[in-house]
Amino acid sequence: MIPRSRQWHFFDSLWHHLFGFERPDSRGQRIFRRLFEAFIAGASVWLAWYWGRYTLRISDIVLELGFARYIDISFMHGNALPIWNAWAITGLIILGFLRIDRWIPLGRWAYMAAMLLLMLQYAARFVLGEIPHSSNLVGMGLMGFALAELQFKDRVAGGRFAIGFSYFFIGLGYTSAAASKLIARGFAWADGRHLWMWINEKAVDEVARSGSVELNWVQQLALDHWWIATAFLAFGLITEALAWLVWYRGTRYVAMWAVFGLHMGIWVTMDILFALSVYEILLLGLPWAAIIDRLWPEKGLAAN
Amino acid sequence: MSLNPHTNNARTTLLGVLIVYALTVAINLGEFWPFSIYPMFSQAGNPWSRAIVREVQPEDSLSWNALPLADVPGQPYGVRSGGVDPIDLANFVSKTAIWNQDRVAALSLMLLADPPKEPLRLMVYRVQARLTEQDSIAMTAMPYVVVGTDLPPDTKHLNPELRP
Repeated sequence: MIPRSRQWHFFDSLWHHLFGFERPDSRGQRIFRRLFEAFIAGASVWLAWYWGRYTLRISDIVLELGFARYIDISFMHGNALPIWNAWAITGLIILGFLRIDRWIPLGRWAYMAAMLLLMLQYAARFVLGEIPHSSNLVGMGLMGFALAELQFKDRVAGGRFAIGFSYFFIGLGYTSAAASKLIARGFAWADGRHLWMWINEKAVDEVARSGSVELNWVQQLALDHWWIATAFLAFGLITEALAWLVWYRGTRYVAMWAVFGLHMGIWVTMDILFALSVYEILLLGLPWAAIIDRLWPEKGLAAN
Repeated sequence: MSLNPHTNNARTTLLGVLIVYALTVAINLGEFWPFSIYPMFSQAGNPWSRAIVREVQPEDSLSWNALPLADVPGQPYGVRSGGVDPIDLANFVSKTAIWNQDRVAALSLMLLADPPKEPLRLMVYRVQARLTEQDSIAMTAMPYVVVGTDLPPDTKHLNPELRP
């Protein structure tokens, strides 16, 4: 019989790489945990207001998403509720960030309450047919901190959980995107003519947005050379398919930078910039804790 | 290898979220923000549909026939000037199955809630594209509806083919 330690070595190793609870804490890690939390908190507040203000101009529902599939979300339209909801989310996130549970019972639920209200805000905003994915990483990041507050009394462990949670779902999300493409089209997905279609589609979007469009030299290069367009798509597909490598410390930063490159490629070829996702990838794509420890070492602790 | 007690907690929580994730995307067509299976761009090479807007004048004679994108008449109008996301416009136009009074009014509100000038009259076109056998991309524009700050929303301003 194979010992349990051997059977579970793969997963034990994965948990170790994702969360590293047994590693000594350091100043760099403390600063980075709060920095990442501040980014997720700030981005969530920004989304709450961005979506809330836009929802004021919506009066009809084309496609229900999220909560709107189960409740009549029209109560959020034609009134100031999206703005009140944005205020509520802002307040809850500030309370969560300030660790209000020291003074208020149920204070640890602040982030989770904000998460649920943000899901409502999303459901009210995205009823016009668009199914965006630019905010999913931030949403999962907020969920990670919300669960950390509820599941971990120890805040050092909670912060490590939240960061590992984000790495896990970044890896899973991009890898599942590659799986969707391969299931739908196989390796022919990377045919450069498909990029030609998307470049033209986004050019029409730009005409709709600003009234005119001028293709950049990268787009022109891809349109002029099928093989260059194919190379762009192949790089994107391979990067997504290997994104699960962010789960492991040894390959994490290379994989994160490949994902960053993927987003830059999407930006220059299709003029789509998932700004919040890119900022998050930059935050998680460098060993900031180790850099801080190296630059500002804590007495008595080795740089991590 | 004995697991750190926090690892047990993290593992249980993560697996719980994974189960909820899988269930919610399974019963909600792959989308339940922030859960998603990220299917965007998977349907490579399929025909696509977007929308553009042209500014028209009351005295313009309007044709409801489809025409090549390059031949669309009128002054180009960027929806950004009215605070509108063009993806919303494109989806609103392509995913509306029945164009009734409410839908025309909703489109009018979306485009004219914050007009950059008044009076303003806009023709909304649906643009459709497909890859031809000659590896070129054919794009045609179909006039859908006219909305205006001086024009009460009405189905009579729809392309006759879309009128209920």
